[in-house]
Amino acid sequence: MSDVVIIGAGIHPFGRFDKSYEELGAAAAAAALRDAGVEWSQIQAAYLSRMYLPATSGARILRRLGSTDISIVDIEAACASGGAALRQAVLAVRSGEIDLALVLGCEKMPRGFMDPSMIYSAWQIELGMSLNPAYWSMRAKRHMHDYGTTERQIAKVAFKNHRNSVHNPNAMYQKEFSLEEILASPLVCDPIRRLEICAPDDGAAALVVASAERARKLGAANPIQIAACCHTIARYSADFRCPADSMSATADNPGPTEVAANQAYERSGLGPKDINCFEVQDTDAFCEIEIYESLGLCALGEGGRLIDEGVTEIGGKAPVNMSGGLISKGEPVGASHVGQIVELVSQLRGTAGKRQVEGAKVALGHVLGAGGNCAVTILKR
Amino acid sequence: MTAQNESPRVPVREGLFSGPLSDLDRVTLAGSRCSSCGETSLGSKTLCANCGKETVRDIALGTRGTLWTYTVVRHRPPGNYKGPEPFAPFGLGLVELPEGVRVMAPIHCDVDKLKIGLPLRFKPYLRKDDGREVVAFAFEMEETEAANV
Ligand SMILES: [Zn+2]
Repeated sequence: MSDVVIIGAGIHPFGRFDKSYEELGAAAAAAALRDAGVEWSQIQAAYLSRMYLPATSGARILRRLGSTDISIVDIEAACASGGAALRQAVLAVRSGEIDLALVLGCEKMPRGFMDPSMIYSAWQIELGMSLNPAYWSMRAKRHMHDYGTTERQIAKVAFKNHRNSVHNPNAMYQKEFSLEEILASPLVCDPIRRLEICAPDDGAAALVVASAERARKLGAANPIQIAACCHTIARYSADFRCPADSMSATADNPGPTEVAANQAYERSGLGPKDINCFEVQDTDAFCEIEIYESLGLCALGEGGRLIDEGVTEIGGKAPVNMSGGLISKGEPVGASHVGQIVELVSQLRGTAGKRQVEGAKVALGHVLGAGGNCAVTILKR
Repeated sequence: MTAQNESPRVPVREGLFSGPLSDLDRVTLAGSRCSSCGETSLGSKTLCANCGKETVRDIALGTRGTLWTYTVVRHRPPGNYKGPEPFAPFGLGLVELPEGVRVMAPIHCDVDKLKIGLPLRFKPYLRKDDGREVVAFAFEMEETEAANV
């Protein structure tokens, strides 16, 4: 089975811009092609990850780069859209039918909470069940009850990620907040506070993906191997992320992060201890604590200890969200995972500047959202 | 279902309730129980949400349960929210019922009293909507009932 590698990565900063989605997407795609030293006319298939954009957005964006007749498809899997799109590119290259593809993630979103009718039924909206942070908060409350996780530990995750963002010019917020400021910010849904959740925004990121052989022929200087790219949805009652209306008290299915991560570990032959840095779905600060456990960085219930001990800081044993995470970057849904991969490619190339994890050789990106959609990608240099 | 002199009542969602909507005292949440895998889920269904088999039958879910987890929604939910105006923070939680199912529900009580393990009971209620009576639901504290009787 031939290796699939990333030979180019490009990003348009995440934030709020007075630009069309076509401009945002085309800028990221052009940057990735430039980085790869590849012409648009050489690309054999393109995949757009997006959730909020209209039909045929991929074609509308990429036509700006010049006339083409290749297959361009739009892919949607909620917060895991980018993983689903990258996976399609990997499968296509691995099949041997093509050997050079573009993966683009792009989103332009309205301010405020996401349009609930996209994921909730009318009755859930009427009864007040349409606020996404409510679901994250209920998970947090139960974790606090079962394991003694504290509001202070949750705030420490937000503190770490905001602090990391100061060195990321592509983040929407690049501002450090003190632990006290975070704990004094208003509650959105107990126990989650305003400075502990991410906001929807605009952004785009792109990758040029090739077979290892094609990368050699192209003389790619620093190809990054995609060791695994897995996408799953939550099994029955395995995650009450929106829009669950009931959960089983008897079923005992592993959560979507465990399932996707275990698939990725198995396929790559790597485990959590082999991975030098992580970008994960910190939709809210608590979520990151839970993901430490689901990815196997620590045992169930010990996520709070990990943040207390500084294990997940840049310079710690298992740095998480060097980019500042979604809390700082915002979540332009379709661009989110592709943006994580752009960050991890720069970590593995050793070009992440003040965010650099020294000597990083293996990296993992993780996203998780509505429907229990989860993607885990493992990269290797 | 409709008694004389009453406007037609409709459930906030089809298949959500069991019992006659004309008599709220006899209304419960409806569940779907599967004889193949034993799982129960909220609402009437024709296929099991777990194993996909047709071996499901509708049951009436118990009206008493305990709070498994919760939050206080302090920001107005987006979209067509039909709670009390002006908006006031409210409890939202998963209520564990004896049938082995945890149901997402608004919790009508003083938000400072919310805690995991709190005993609760089912509370269907009526809401006027475009001249129709809509049956919606919440859970409330057991002691509220005792206090009112
Ligand atoms: Zn079944």
